Amino acid sequence: MTSETRRRKPRRRTGEGGRRLHSAGSAIVVSLAGLLIALLLNAPGLHKSATIQPEGWKRDTALAVTGPLESVSGALLLDQPRRVLKAALGRSEDDRIDTAIVAPAPEEPVGGSSAAPPKREKFSPRRKLRLWIAGDSLVVVPGESLLRAVAGNRAIASGGKIDGRIASGLERPDVFNWFTHVRDEMRKNKPRAVVLMFGGNDDHGFMTGLPEGKEIGSFGSASWRAEYRRRVAGIMETITRNGGFLVWIGLPISRDGEQTLRYDVINTIVQSEAAKRPGRASYLDTYFFFAGADGGFSEYIADDAGRLVKMRAGDGVHFERPAGDLIAEKVLERLEKRYDLSSWRRS
Amino acid sequence: MLFPTATFAIFFMLVLPLSWLLMRRGELWRPFIIAASFVFYAGWDWRFCFLLAFSIVWNQALAQAIHHRRAARARRQLLVVALAGNLGLLAYFKYYDFFVTSTNNLFAFAGIDVPLEARSIILPVGISFFTFMGIAYVVDVYRRDFQPVGFGKFAAYLSFFPHLVAGPIVRPSELIPQLESPRDPRYVDTSRAFFLIGTGLFMKVVIANYLAANIVDEVFGAPNQHSSLEVLVGIYAYAVQIYADFFGYTNMAIGIALLLGFTFPQNFDAPYSATSISDFWRRWHMTLSRWLRDYLYIPLGGNRGSSLFTYRNLMLTMLIGGLWHGAGWTFIAWGGIHGTALVAERWWRERPGFVERPWTRGRRAWHRFVTFQVVCFAWIFFRSDSFTDAWDLIVRLLTAWGEPSPLVSGGVIAAIAVGIGSQYLPRRLPLVLMARFSRLPIPAQAAVLSLALLVTHAMGPEGVAPFIYFQF
Repeated sequence: MTSETRRRKPRRRTGEGGRRLHSAGSAIVVSLAGLLIALLLNAPGLHKSATIQPEGWKRDTALAVTGPLESVSGALLLDQPRRVLKAALGRSEDDRIDTAIVAPAPEEPVGGSSAAPPKREKFSPRRKLRLWIAGDSLVVVPGESLLRAVAGNRAIASGGKIDGRIASGLERPDVFNWFTHVRDEMRKNKPRAVVLMFGGNDDHGFMTGLPEGKEIGSFGSASWRAEYRRRVAGIMETITRNGGFLVWIGLPISRDGEQTLRYDVINTIVQSEAAKRPGRASYLDTYFFFAGADGGFSEYIADDAGRLVKMRAGDGVHFERPAGDLIAEKVLERLEKRYDLSSWRRS
Repeated sequence: MLFPTATFAIFFMLVLPLSWLLMRRGELWRPFIIAASFVFYAGWDWRFCFLLAFSIVWNQALAQAIHHRRAARARRQLLVVALAGNLGLLAYFKYYDFFVTSTNNLFAFAGIDVPLEARSIILPVGISFFTFMGIAYVVDVYRRDFQPVGFGKFAAYLSFFPHLVAGPIVRPSELIPQLESPRDPRYVDTSRAFFLIGTGLFMKVVIANYLAANIVDEVFGAPNQHSSLEVLVGIYAYAVQIYADFFGYTNMAIGIALLLGFTFPQNFDAPYSATSISDFWRRWHMTLSRWLRDYLYIPLGGNRGSSLFTYRNLMLTMLIGGLWHGAGWTFIAWGGIHGTALVAERWWRERPGFVERPWTRGRRAWHRFVTFQVVCFAWIFFRSDSFTDAWDLIVRLLTAWGEPSPLVSGGVIAAIAVGIGSQYLPRRLPLVLMARFSRLPIPAQAAVLSLALLVTHAMGPEGVAPFIYFQF
């Protein structure tokens, strides 16, 4: 091959500031290699992300990839920089997958309708009622409304925070373990008023944290209902046994009719469990707050003055501010029925 | 499909090599990149692919029709039809419910029942962006600034996935010529691409998400639960959050396009170092600013008239710019505040006897401070769900000093400092870093990239919050 026919190496070209331009091949190699190394370095986090995905082929595939990846990463100690970094950030627990369901079994009898409801306790600025608002993403808007509503009442200490965890619920402790979290919160901060909203992400036939060998069948099956009831009861027990009064906000009507039917299954379980704990737990049915004139889903609802008010977010599930205000008003009514929060103003 | 996700990484690692393999054969590359872009868009909702396809066909058909007409009247009529189609789409999907509720509530105030019903229309992601790009194409053809291109090239221009859902808003003259000739695979600005993707990821995943979760959402959600200091820091934090979020997204978009061989215009230039509101708009969402200037402000008459006429045009442009961001009166108020500030600045400079004083360090710092406060004041309305919420926040800002402020943590202050401080870094610094990176051997570049991904992933929260600008 003569020098005339030999392929010449392209001249080196530079960009602004004297940086070298590289070939498309380099771009592909650096991208691919960088991503692959990053996969190994972040393997524990990626495996957790794969685990907490919704059930389906994507989760199965992701688990099939990230499981071995995590093993390789651990064997080569490539997961250590991430662990060190997480520890430095005070977030060592981030990559841990905790599916243990720690919930007390209901006492026999749970209280029953014949049990006397607890007496109406009095709170004041000197002895404040500690309020805790928690749940999935649905609780955030009503929670904010509730915080605004109680801001003027110095007998209530809310901490100004909502413990809302996106995509979480009672089916999937691997996504977020509410059972542990509720127990810890009740022990640590001892809230006497607890407002919860769960279930928006629980309308699936898939649960983690099941006892060894137990299967729950499809969504709404008898075994599914029994297990979900056990979990709801567990949360209620944890709160009420620690002295908390619980207001559980029911799931609203959804734009998707099938989803609304599934929400009904969840609501029925929660409602019946709350009914077993009079004076200690209260179920707030939101279904009819947000049904349109025809009884079906409506994003906008006319108020008393005839003005159209946007109640529901565009996704057909979440709430807009006026809906939150309406729910907060009803929650506050229940809290005031259970506790004396205003007589201090007169004394 | 969001950029900082594993799904997008897999998608892009398939698209990147295939795109370069097909690059030299435009007749194959264009269908490929259009198909890839539609797959990307279908990641949100496949039904809206039909909307994107309609926008492509509509704008291309009318641009061709305008181009082939000689009579000015016929051209103008076709332009009106094209604009009506584009704005009609936007009006239906984005503003219909806003119009219905506003009309209904106005008449309800007078006791009149209006038989208009809201339709709960789902807003297609990115519609504002690709509609504006479609309008730019048709108007440029009408003005004879640009010759219409073939269907495949236009479809690739409008649907090109790096800019599809949140910009930058790329002009036809900037992107279409690049789509007409194959990119040179020997010279790719990889170091700039990786730098933009890395900084974009960090700003979005770490800074924006951290501030949202640790102060902004709480302060704006229930302001009366927070002290004045928390509210003040919450407002500043939102200013940084929205910047980090949108700057981060467009940086990633520009970097991804660069890896594919395409250059997008810059969208941000240290906006919180602006010394005036007009300077701010030269630095914030620059591609939208120039779109509004070229396709709204100038057609309205720009500054080719009396001062009052110019003020009117400025105000109209900013009010419409506000409405573009969201179908709500608070967005219009946000635009109104910026419009008022722009008018005030113009009036100040145009008043008799005004002499521009030289910039001293102190004067520049003072102007930057005041400009930032005005921008932050406007953000209150942008972020608030209603005027009541905005008012509550402002009242709280003024009336709750001295109360405990647990949300004002070291992490929050550090994140705000990074967000604002990054805009005051020497301009040479990124150039030096990119040049050094570009001289590293390939394995070292991959190692640096993976370390950046490690830090971002480890410091970020679980999951990825959607980008703020997607809803616009």
